[in-house]
Amino acid sequence: MMQIDAIPLELKYRIKYPDEFIQALKKGEILATKCKNCGAVYFPPQRDCTNCGKSDMEWIKLDNEGEIMTYSIVVQKPQGFEDKGNYVIGIVKTKDNNFLMAWIIGEPKVGAKVRLTTDGYRLIGEVIG
Amino acid sequence: MGRKVGIIGVGNSRFGKRDDVSVQELAWESIKEAFEDSGITQKDIDFVVVGSTAYRGVELYPAPIVAEYSGLTGKVPMRVEAMCATGLAAALTAYTAVASGLADIAMAVGVDKMTEVDTATSLAIGGRGGNYQWEYHFYGTTFPTYYAFYATRHMAVYGTTEEQMALVAVKAHKYASQNPKAHFQKPITVEDVLKSRVISWPIKLLDSCPISDGSATVIFASEEKIKELKIDTPVWISGIGYANDYAYIAKRGEWTGFRATQLAARQAYEMAKVGPNDIEVATVHDAFTIAEIMGYEDLGFVEKGKGGKFIEEGQSEKGGKVGVNLFGGLKAKGHPLGATGLSMIYEITKQLREEAGNLQQPLKNYIGLVHNVGGTGHFAYVMILRR
Repeated sequence: MMQIDAIPLELKYRIKYPDEFIQALKKGEILATKCKNCGAVYFPPQRDCTNCGKSDMEWIKLDNEGEIMTYSIVVQKPQGFEDKGNYVIGIVKTKDNNFLMAWIIGEPKVGAKVRLTTDGYRLIGEVIG
Repeated sequence: MGRKVGIIGVGNSRFGKRDDVSVQELAWESIKEAFEDSGITQKDIDFVVVGSTAYRGVELYPAPIVAEYSGLTGKVPMRVEAMCATGLAAALTAYTAVASGLADIAMAVGVDKMTEVDTATSLAIGGRGGNYQWEYHFYGTTFPTYYAFYATRHMAVYGTTEEQMALVAVKAHKYASQNPKAHFQKPITVEDVLKSRVISWPIKLLDSCPISDGSATVIFASEEKIKELKIDTPVWISGIGYANDYAYIAKRGEWTGFRATQLAARQAYEMAKVGPNDIEVATVHDAFTIAEIMGYEDLGFVEKGKGGKFIEEGQSEKGGKVGVNLFGGLKAKGHPLGATGLSMIYEITKQLREEAGNLQQPLKNYIGLVHNVGGTGHFAYVMILRR
């Protein structure tokens, strides 16, 4: 059976993020949205409240202390991350009971406390014990 | 609930790296077998649904191509997709067509030609099996990473070990080596698994299913039609359940089991009026070894947290309490996404008809279960089959 190269398909995408969220990341802060009507909090941030149906939201800062719920050490890196060393991705529960994904710095352990910040681009959880 | 629906024909292509066929030729392998198995032909079919994730093959829209090659043009209005659970999404669609009375005979064809694209691109597509915008883009998640979150937490909370996970892979390869249609044909050892390279800790290469090409087909018919056709070995769909869970994995709040599986299982058991202790043979979605361990628990075969013990004690082996993945599972039979769920129905149908040869599970009540997960717990389907 003869194998030949088919015409490659290159997909390029443009996507949007809320300005407020990206600006806050640059300052080391993590923002979520909160519904002014019913108080529901959304992370990832939503501009529409699907709990009460209103779309009147405000930005709130999430608590910067949390706990590692689980994690993995990425050894085989995907496209876009090939130049990175091994990195640890964790799921963190914040003190104010929100759940988010972050890169973990320090010795990862389920149940370890982390301080949440950013590297200007993504959320970081620094292990503090 | 609708009309009673039975399975009258099943087909399964050889799984593996299938450079020797195009997607339509691959689909025909299982369609042809299902026709021969049922004794019907194209003219008898009212409705066909093609299940395919398609992103890794050169044909991004395979349904019309499969339809044309197989002589089914005119009867195939759609392709369906639910990531790794695409096969059972197609089954649900065909089942619903018959149960509702829209069709008397409906066919679900599952096919994916996953090795046409290069491996790096394939992994990048898999890594997007969550929420690209808020996960992959910032954190470089891979598909194994998502399952690794569950493995890490299961180990921390319940003391599950990497050795116990390795036993799932050893079992899968043992049975696959006796199934000529399986991707992998050689047994492996616990040590092979533990020594294989780390992909996304704690998941290693041999904890992971391969990237496979393959197809599977199931033909469903109404009870009236089954009587009319004088089918002597119908397998009945006794219960069916489905659910989904959050895309952004952190939101789920628990990472030791799949809530979607738990919900789908409850629904299927209620409809079938049976419980987990009645199940004698099953396929459990084992894309990674931790998935099978969680599956035992989520489906109720064993108490929460005891999944590792369940495999250690041999309870999921042939002849055990529930024979699980006796054709080799996703792990070693292979995981061509669109075909997988339908291949599971093929397997349990063969088991319930006692046509599984060396891999036959001894049965008393002829009750089997099929469990197919999409993404990393994003979708789950459970189907209970009886003879």
